[in-house]
Amino acid sequence: MTIGLEHYLALGALLFCIGFFIALSKKNAVGVLIGVELMLNAVNLTLVAFSRFGSAEVALSTQVFVVFIIAVAAAEVAVGLALALVVYRNRQTISVDRTTLLKG
Amino acid sequence: MSDFGFHLAFWALAAMTLGGASMILISRNLIHAVIWLVMSMLGIAGLYLTLSADFIAVVQVLIYVGAISVLMLFAIMLTPRAERDNSQTKISAPAGLVVLLVMIATMWVAVDTDWGPVRDGALTEQARLIGESLIKHYILPFEIGAVLLTAALVGAIALARQDEEDGPVHAASLQAELDGETSIDPADVIDPPLASEPSDGGTTS
Repeated sequence: MTIGLEHYLALGALLFCIGFFIALSKKNAVGVLIGVELMLNAVNLTLVAFSRFGSAEVALSTQVFVVFIIAVAAAEVAVGLALALVVYRNRQTISVDRTTLLKG
Repeated sequence: MSDFGFHLAFWALAAMTLGGASMILISRNLIHAVIWLVMSMLGIAGLYLTLSADFIAVVQVLIYVGAISVLMLFAIMLTPRAERDNSQTKISAPAGLVVLLVMIATMWVAVDTDWGPVRDGALTEQARLIGESLIKHYILPFEIGAVLLTAALVGAIALARQDEEDGPVHAASLQAELDGETSIDPADVIDPPLASEPSDGGTTS
């Protein structure tokens, strides 16, 4: 049995689901960001698998796409962590269960 | 033999990636969770290498393993009085149900779909090809990405800048200068509502 496209796609799907569950269920804001990063990495893994095993005309564009995703993820995590710091400065907590100022 | 080595590399790296991700889920300490994230990202970089995507693998190690994990550790250590634990919220049971449905759907699509003729060829000279297509074919997204990164970093610095101690005093003394006063007592201008506000369970000191 050779390792083919389906192996990488299944691995990416599993990793995406683990990241999705972390992002949905963690209390800490940094934990939620970790889950989002895992989801983005799973998508990158899927794209690179298509770059290797897919048709020849997408081999380069998928890798360029991965580079863009990594750049956007870096911007997202920088702003997200800065927001976590601001929330901590005002509320002394970064638990997403306790930042309920808008709940009324 | 080479095929056996490839199999071994794939399964070992897959176990490393999924194991690291699962340890994030169950580890009790947030700092340990970030360390497990680093391990998972290293596994993904190795998987990029098994897919012959060497440039992407190096970028992954540089940005995720090097930069983003350190940024997360900084954010954890700059919030010293927040909770360190990595526990789940109350909605984790319905979230698990949703995630299970998503997992079944994506795995079914990944395995069951006919992905067309499978090519087994890797690009050579990937860094040169990616760089050329970035400045030829994808020049507009490239520039937009540059603007996005600049705006995000300036925004992050502006948000995270520590100016709560001298900020109100500074603004008030500026206002006092405008009003013609000469000196102002800092104790009068630090507004207390943030300190006295009940933070419903948070540890205030």
